[in-house]
Amino acid sequence: MIEIINVSKWFGELKVLDNVKETINKGQVVVICGPSGSGKSTLLKSLNGLEPFQEGDIRVDGISLNDPKTNFIKLRQKMGMVFQRFELYPHMKVIENITIAPTKVLNQSKSQAGKKAMELLERVGIPEQADKYPGNLSGGQQQRVAIARALAMEPDIMLFDEPTSALDPEMIKEVLDVMVDLAQSGMTMAVVTHEMGFAKEVADEIIFMDEGRIIERGTDKSFFENPESERLKEFLRKILI
Amino acid sequence: MNFEWQVISNNFFFLMGGLVTTFELALIAIAGGLTLGILVGMGRLSKFKFIYYPATLFVNLMRTQPLILVIFWFYFLVPLIIGRPIGGFTSAVIAFTIFEASYFAEIIRAGIQSISKGQMEAAYSSGFTYWQAMRYFIIPQALKNMMPSLITQAVVVFQDTSLAYVIGLREFLRSANIVDAREMRSVELYLFVGLVYFIVCFSMSRICKKLELKKGYA
Ligand SMILES: Nc1ncnc2c1ncn2[C@@H]1O[C@H](COP(=O)(O)OP(=O)(O)OP(=O)(O)O)[C@@H](O)[C@H]1O
Ligand SMILES: [Mg+2]
Repeated sequence: MIEIINVSKWFGELKVLDNVKETINKGQVVVICGPSGSGKSTLLKSLNGLEPFQEGDIRVDGISLNDPKTNFIKLRQKMGMVFQRFELYPHMKVIENITIAPTKVLNQSKSQAGKKAMELLERVGIPEQADKYPGNLSGGQQQRVAIARALAMEPDIMLFDEPTSALDPEMIKEVLDVMVDLAQSGMTMAVVTHEMGFAKEVADEIIFMDEGRIIERGTDKSFFENPESERLKEFLRKILI
Repeated sequence: MNFEWQVISNNFFFLMGGLVTTFELALIAIAGGLTLGILVGMGRLSKFKFIYYPATLFVNLMRTQPLILVIFWFYFLVPLIIGRPIGGFTSAVIAFTIFEASYFAEIIRAGIQSISKGQMEAAYSSGFTYWQAMRYFIIPQALKNMMPSLITQAVVVFQDTSLAYVIGLREFLRSANIVDAREMRSVELYLFVGLVYFIVCFSMSRICKKLELKKGYA
């Protein structure tokens, strides 16, 4: 479903992705972790063309992002994205946040999109917040709206960039529960997170990045029980205390 | 000294005619300047050099010229270029629109830059195009943030239109001027003109204050 083929990227002089190779199959959940600045967000954003890269190729359902004929607008309609800082549209009500893309991008009718949006709000557990503005919701509620907003486009793939790291501890679980549910429903997911509980529960593969490289990869068992590199051992010590 | 306020009432309709012209000129200049300013302001943020450089040149050129000179330029230059005279009003409208656009453009640019990059990324990842993202998400939020500066600039435009009297346009100040030449009542007339400018501009800045207080989202 997603093939990352020897991708390298520079910001000026700084090499932020270094020969990254990875395959994400349909229905798989891949967790990406690593220290700050290791290139996790950059990698995730390169998957839907938000960040261009200089070397290598990425193929989504066989469509090459390097192909000048590739329509990124179309491609992104099939790839939902959830951000660390939610990025809801603050001037629109929750329900409008969810319906605007289906109505304006997919030309769905208002009533059809509204009905779907309410179903999604039920699914993430906050139908009663539909008519509020995002600023009046808690962080955990906002992130669940952001997930509903992404799902409204009926994506084949969901990308998450540290979806819980801006949240107070008591709200992390409500967001992770929604994500676990999504993973178990068969969604293909690439998740940047340090929530190792989540990784253990649903990840098919975990990859560890440092300085733009994938240093280690494994299933949750091998990853946590037999980390090979010193870097990963040190990283796990830091985040598991 | 003794005031003769009848000079105002005797010439009331003439003066109000000038005020109407001032309002017309200001409204067209604000609407036109804002529209052009949005485009130029976006151009100033463009990653395409052939858009960025002309937009930047335009803004820097206009903002380094005295307005009165720009008014003269258009009054004398435009008829030369198009080969026939255009009235004072039309040339003033063009001059003000273009001049004020450069100021609006900088307000718009700062306003758009005040919206986090993540909003654009969120819009892109839902499949919106650049123009849709601008229209539905970036510009509405930016406008809300910019409202106080935009209103302040609109007040300035309203005051600036008085400069059109140099090309003989019969706006509010010029009308008072004409009455004064006939009736020699400078003090009353210019006090009245000042009072009207005060009332209009003060009410606009009060509206601005109100908006600033309401700036948070509902
Ligand atoms: N727009 C940019 N211009 C220049 N350098 C950038 C830019 N965006 C990111 N970088 C740099 O690229 C590197 C990788 O950044 P990235 O955001 O992908 O890291 P990350 O692994 O997501 O880190 P974090 O855990 O802090 O989110 C960092 O060194 C960062 O400073
Ligand atoms: Mg990051």
